[in-house]
Amino acid sequence: MEVEISRRRFLQGSVAMTVVGGTALSTSNLLSSEHGGGEYKAASGMPESVTTKTGTGEAENVPFLCGICVNKCAGFARVENGVVTKLNPNPYFPKSRNMLCARGNAGIQTLYDPDRLKYPLIRIGERGDGKYKRVSWEEAYDAILNGTDKFKGLKQILDEEKDNRATIGYCNGEGLSKEGFEVLMGEKIGTPNYVDEVSICLETTLGGYFSTIGTYGEADLNNADYLIIAGANRAEAIITPDTMDLFKRSRGRGLKTIVLDPRFTNTAAKADRWYAINPGTDLAFVLALTYVAINENLYDKDFVTKHGVGFEDYKKHILSNKYTPEWAEKITNIPAKEIYKTAREFMAARSPIYYQGRRSVFSKNDFQLRRAMAIFQALSGNLDKKGGIVYGKKLSLPKEEINTPMYAQVKSRFDGKDIAIPSDKTGSWIQFRNMVLDGTAPYPVRAMFMRKHNPMSGVPNAKKTEEFLKKMDLNVMIDILPSDTTMFCDVILPEASYLERTSPVATYGGLEPAIVQRKAAIKPLFETKEPEVIYKELAEKLSKPLWEITKKYDEDVQDDIKGMSKDEEEKYYKENGFDLADAWEKPVYEANKEMVEATFGEEAWKILDEKGVYYPNMEKYHKQLNPNEFQYYPESKKNYTTQGDKLKVIINFKNLAKKGVDSMPTWHDEWNFSVPEGKFRLVTGRHAQFTQSGTTNNLMLRDLIPTNYLWINKRVADEKGIRFGDMVEVSSSVGKVQIKAYPTEKIAPNQVFMLHGFGGSSEAMEIAYGNGANDALIIEDKIEPVYGAAVMHETNVEIRKV
Amino acid sequence: MARYGMALDYKNCINCKACEVACKEENGVLLGADKHRIWVGVKEIEGEWPNLSIASSTFIPSQCQHCDNAPCQEVCPTHATYYDENNVVRVDSDKCILCSYCMNACPYDARYVDDRTMTVDKCTFCSDTRLARGETTTACQNTCPTKVRTFGDLDDPNSEISILLRTREHFSLKAHLGTKPKLFYLK
Amino acid sequence: MNIKDFITSIPVKKIGLKELLTPDNKLVGLAGFVLLFMYLYGALMALIHGHHAYGVTREHPWGLLIVMYIFFVGTSTGLAIVGSFGHIFGIKIFDRFGLRVTWLAIAMLLPGFAIILLEIGHPIRMIIYNMLSPGLTSAIWWMGTFYTLVLVFLIGEFIFGLIGDHKNSRLLGIGGLLADVAAFATLGSIFGYLVARPAVNGPFLPLYFILTATVAGSYLIFLVYGIMYKNNFPKDIEQMLTTLAKILGLLLAVLMFFDYWAILTGLYGRLPERADTILYILSTKSYWIGEILLGAVVPFVIILMSKGKNLGALVWASFFGLVGIFFMRYDMVHNAQVFPMQTMKIREYQLPPSIVEYSPSSTEWLIALGGIGLAILIYQIGVKLFDLEAHDEHH
Ligand SMILES: Nc1nc2c(c(=O)[nH]1)N[C@H]1C(S)=C(S)[C@@H](COP(=O)(O)OP(=O)(O)OC[C@H]3O[C@@H](n4cnc5c(=O)[nH]c(N)nc54)[C@H](O)[C@@H]3O)O[C@H]1N2
Ligand SMILES: Nc1nc2c(c(=O)[nH]1)N[C@H]1C(S)=C(S)[C@@H](COP(=O)(O)OP(=O)(O)OC[C@H]3O[C@@H](n4cnc5c(=O)[nH]c(N)nc54)[C@H](O)[C@@H]3O)O[C@H]1N2
Ligand code: SF4
Ligand code: SF4
Ligand code: SF4
Ligand code: SF4
Ligand code: SF4
Ligand SMILES: [Mo]
Repeated sequence: MEVEISRRRFLQGSVAMTVVGGTALSTSNLLSSEHGGGEYKAASGMPESVTTKTGTGEAENVPFLCGICVNKCAGFARVENGVVTKLNPNPYFPKSRNMLCARGNAGIQTLYDPDRLKYPLIRIGERGDGKYKRVSWEEAYDAILNGTDKFKGLKQILDEEKDNRATIGYCNGEGLSKEGFEVLMGEKIGTPNYVDEVSICLETTLGGYFSTIGTYGEADLNNADYLIIAGANRAEAIITPDTMDLFKRSRGRGLKTIVLDPRFTNTAAKADRWYAINPGTDLAFVLALTYVAINENLYDKDFVTKHGVGFEDYKKHILSNKYTPEWAEKITNIPAKEIYKTAREFMAARSPIYYQGRRSVFSKNDFQLRRAMAIFQALSGNLDKKGGIVYGKKLSLPKEEINTPMYAQVKSRFDGKDIAIPSDKTGSWIQFRNMVLDGTAPYPVRAMFMRKHNPMSGVPNAKKTEEFLKKMDLNVMIDILPSDTTMFCDVILPEASYLERTSPVATYGGLEPAIVQRKAAIKPLFETKEPEVIYKELAEKLSKPLWEITKKYDEDVQDDIKGMSKDEEEKYYKENGFDLADAWEKPVYEANKEMVEATFGEEAWKILDEKGVYYPNMEKYHKQLNPNEFQYYPESKKNYTTQGDKLKVIINFKNLAKKGVDSMPTWHDEWNFSVPEGKFRLVTGRHAQFTQSGTTNNLMLRDLIPTNYLWINKRVADEKGIRFGDMVEVSSSVGKVQIKAYPTEKIAPNQVFMLHGFGGSSEAMEIAYGNGANDALIIEDKIEPVYGAAVMHETNVEIRKV
Repeated sequence: MARYGMALDYKNCINCKACEVACKEENGVLLGADKHRIWVGVKEIEGEWPNLSIASSTFIPSQCQHCDNAPCQEVCPTHATYYDENNVVRVDSDKCILCSYCMNACPYDARYVDDRTMTVDKCTFCSDTRLARGETTTACQNTCPTKVRTFGDLDDPNSEISILLRTREHFSLKAHLGTKPKLFYLK
Repeated sequence: MNIKDFITSIPVKKIGLKELLTPDNKLVGLAGFVLLFMYLYGALMALIHGHHAYGVTREHPWGLLIVMYIFFVGTSTGLAIVGSFGHIFGIKIFDRFGLRVTWLAIAMLLPGFAIILLEIGHPIRMIIYNMLSPGLTSAIWWMGTFYTLVLVFLIGEFIFGLIGDHKNSRLLGIGGLLADVAAFATLGSIFGYLVARPAVNGPFLPLYFILTATVAGSYLIFLVYGIMYKNNFPKDIEQMLTTLAKILGLLLAVLMFFDYWAILTGLYGRLPERADTILYILSTKSYWIGEILLGAVVPFVIILMSKGKNLGALVWASFFGLVGIFFMRYDMVHNAQVFPMQTMKIREYQLPPSIVEYSPSSTEWLIALGGIGLAILIYQIGVKLFDLEAHDEHH
């Protein structure tokens, strides 16, 4: 008796009971006839059951790079009869070292998600109501260009805006095909108004480290002996290779680990000591560590003298401001004696690392925090060496030449207003959105082109994001799933998922650099297309009509082509990059081959093509040491030290002062942590079985962690009569959500925590819809002053049992 | 012919559940909260914030222990549960009558009912998938980010697991029951 | 005598529905049919949905059906034991049981089988592989084999009794008794062998099972005779029942003694899992009210106060006693599984496992209660078909 346990059955069964507000029914006609159609399944190469037992017969193993999160771990997809039955780790990639995490393993469920976008759609209802019509690709491109009776097309918009390309905004989440989208929108179509995940993720970390030590670097955790890891949860927020290296030597096995996190995480569970620091006060902690190191003369004087710029100023600054542990204790909630101990241990250690962290949009002082961390690291002298923060090397790939057109009418971006060092490339999501919304933008932004990004979940204050999207004349989305943001779009283009596409070769630097290629394991399912194909086709469609608009409004172009014949004009059009599609002449796979063969030789391409990974001398260097471990580079070939004398640590960064930013990390009292009586500080973050909002519809992962909960201190919960699983309402100044309670001692009495990425509002995502709470609805849209990056942990909330 | 076992460097475990997902995908295990061949146990943390006992919240990865003296095998009325040629405790789903005795007899909660065959299922050390194809690691070992698991032949003195067990101290779960587990937890 | 002749020599009366529903047992008969229908409906559900129709789980794989199985076969064993007092051990006063108790034992055994067939996921496979690859180390295998023998012996004993071959009937009765005691003791050992479950593990269970079986058998005898005579017993029956009551009193005393020590040794030393289970047991109403009060104390007090003579009260107490026995079986099965084998959290957002909960599904209830209907009907049919009243007279 074979029983097929369908998704629906699964929903009705074990998990349905935990779904808030009952079983999610797909009312959207996005899904229409798809569920349960046997014929349909057979036709589209879908597996017969949710999980497929791997067979013992013939199978193909295709090297791929995982696309479920930023890490891009390497794997081999096992393909049996055209169905991907298993994703196995790839032992050749030094960055991911023969591992796939839970999410990586569950990637099959994303590939075969029945809710996937399957064919192009155009909106026939109102924004957000989920009514779409299935169309051909050609019709979809046409709708983007010419609009429909429901929305305006790009041609009309650009005509009305007189070829001000900046009227188009675009955004893109992290990934291997991101660059192509930037080429299409930024370089070819020519808008400067780009935002992406950087300003809601790690901008301050990158900025802080680059401006101080010239790199973000790689923490050589395999050889370090002391680690302070603050505001980074490597056991749950997985970053390779750090996650793999860190925990093999923690807990008394060579790597003393000090964790700072307001809540007790799985990383804390592996620590020697955990300090429950007040949110947003890490800077005070680091300043106090620095105080001890300087005051007690524990730092590496030779190193600082040789590489430091402005150390004496800093010394004075730290000592005269009396950043003592006693001072920091009051701010951070960490006992002074613990700070003394940690500072002394750190400076005494052979190879201490203050881990850089990743997502850093926590508080307003984050840029200065990262600077202080980098400087403190430098004070130990453990930079650019084995066991320290290393610079590593990268195998460089030739830069692709883009024939970028120049548009005279295009206006410059505006979201740098009131921001000290605005990023010209990636901007500030919050500032950009808010200025468009409140009308302070100097010109109208009327269209959004989006890809692989879900700002309804990722950008604080989702209500505003919704209004922003509704304000647009045209929204286009390239996604694989009908995400919350997708539901506000007019044209939806279904992309092939990462297992169905070959991606441009990528290079990963560090101690053990390599290049990697993601190869399509199977052909794109349904009518989906690879992103590069979409870029090209869209470019082809838009190219000539937009050129006509340019000719109409662009005086420079008019001057240039005055008196040209048709052929000459065509030549001008092509030579000056106005032919938008010329950036995608070859399919990705062919372009990869050509480029790798030209750069590294034919043999390299063969290896890369077969194994998914290549680095010079790989055949010689790569060895299996035991069932679990591999050698990638011999010890002597690892890039521990690469900087030598050119290494500079900018301690006193005088240029910053000119921009109104402290030239040395300084504490300001307005940053002191406080929560009004009766309220709670809201903190958010990751879990090892989810990637932001991208995996909430993944059946396998949903099985592991059915929904998000609100962590609330157990004693506080007891007082309020809140028990495990009780529904509570969490409200802030910008919104409210309902979520189940998880009373625990792992969090402070005046703080609460929830996993990020849940609470989907798109009914077309059966599993994600209405499941848990979306933190973006309640996080206030604050920005930090240096880059305008989001500040996510400065929102206070009220809790009420419902 | 081998005597397969697994050594677990459990202190490495970060409770990421990659092993659980890999197992389900490799072996076609059904979804559902109680359908798992493998799991990671966590004790509720002791203490009050901020004074929590870090040691009290260790992660204990586990699965069928492939007991050398397996109660589940002893109690099975039809020999549906048996030792295969590699001393792996297996269930022959053609013989299993679903009397559930073995589920009650297993001290480790390693067994559950597979809804498709309506017979008892459990960890097989990937015998009918990976091992049958000649692979030498289990799905859970292979994928583990922190390399907690080492699978191998206990009878082969040169296998990595034999070396580990010779060179490192280890313990078994519920050893007092005399089940002689073949999962070994490295200290 | 060939088999055909032998079979035709068995005295049977032709009966119709009318006889089954004679005015005095109409209610019982009707109840029997309603319950039978419940069984059939439950069986249908079980056939359609398999184990999904039951409330059993990974942590609590045995449920109400096992409980009812034990209840029925245990009571059957008890009847065989009590029945043997006269028939086999020749205690004169118990001669009056005659074939009625043997038939009663059959009428309790068959529903037990009918229920276990639905509990086993693959009963046909069971029959095949019990023979093809017998698991000789399995208590379930032995129990199954013994009970098959029991059925054969009981039927044989009954038939030879009917045709008046008392010698063979007695021989088969002896065989039946031995098999029966072995079977139910083995059933006890099914739990006793569970090294994983310290609360039930050990040699004590088989003994306890035999003891409680005898108590249960006695209760049922009181109940059946009480209904049959509407509490208006002829002299010899009254004498017999009074004697049985005294024996029952003694058994109950032993049982309470057992319970007391089981609890005390269970708690002593606070062995983690065992003591936790005992503490849980002590916190349940089903233990105090069901097992202890109804199952033992009330009947015991009545017997003690009236020196076994207040049979009217005893019949009522027996009814409650049987309810108590049900709780005893339920608690036995449930408490064996109540301590989780997985004590850690295996999901991020869950409470740590504590006591394993179980509540029977409606299908399980239908089948369980339906089993009572089967018992009533089988008993009634036997009484009429073989004219057991007449046989009672003969003695
Ligand atoms: N499994 C999984 N892995 C992932 C991702 C995922 O979604 N899932 N996402 C990837 C991405 S895009 C990123 S950017 C990284 C993010 O990686 P991380 O930055 O390590 O992860 P987060 O969980 O966002 O935040 C880290 C921790 O900071 C704590 N925290 C909050 N405020 C403060 C504070 O003021 N001080 C200190 N010391 N701690 C604080 C939170 O409680 C949280 O535990 O993870 C990557 N890896
Ligand atoms: N409150 C709060 N907000 C946060 C964070 C937080 O911790 N808390 N974390 C921040 C961080 S660190 C980051 S990096 C951002 C991330 O924010 P986003 O970049 O928006 O990432 P996701 O939420 O994962 O959404 C990814 C989208 O890409 C789609 N997608 C997945 N694969 C593909 C593909 O192959 N092709 C295409 N075209 N689409 C695909 C998914 O369906 C989904 O809609 O969020 C930030 N926002
Ligand atoms: S960490 Fe996990 S999800 Fe991220 S790329 Fe690697 S395997 Fe995929
Ligand atoms: S994969 Fe490894 S680290 Fe992750 S839960 Fe399993 S054993 Fe632990
Ligand atoms: S762990 Fe349980 S299922 Fe596995 S061999 Fe031992 S008793 Fe049997
Ligand atoms: S459920 Fe199956 S495997 Fe388990 S004891 Fe019964 S027959 Fe054997
Ligand atoms: S050995 Fe194989 S079957 Fe057993 S838990 Fe690991 S992956 Fe699953
Ligand atoms: Mo991120």
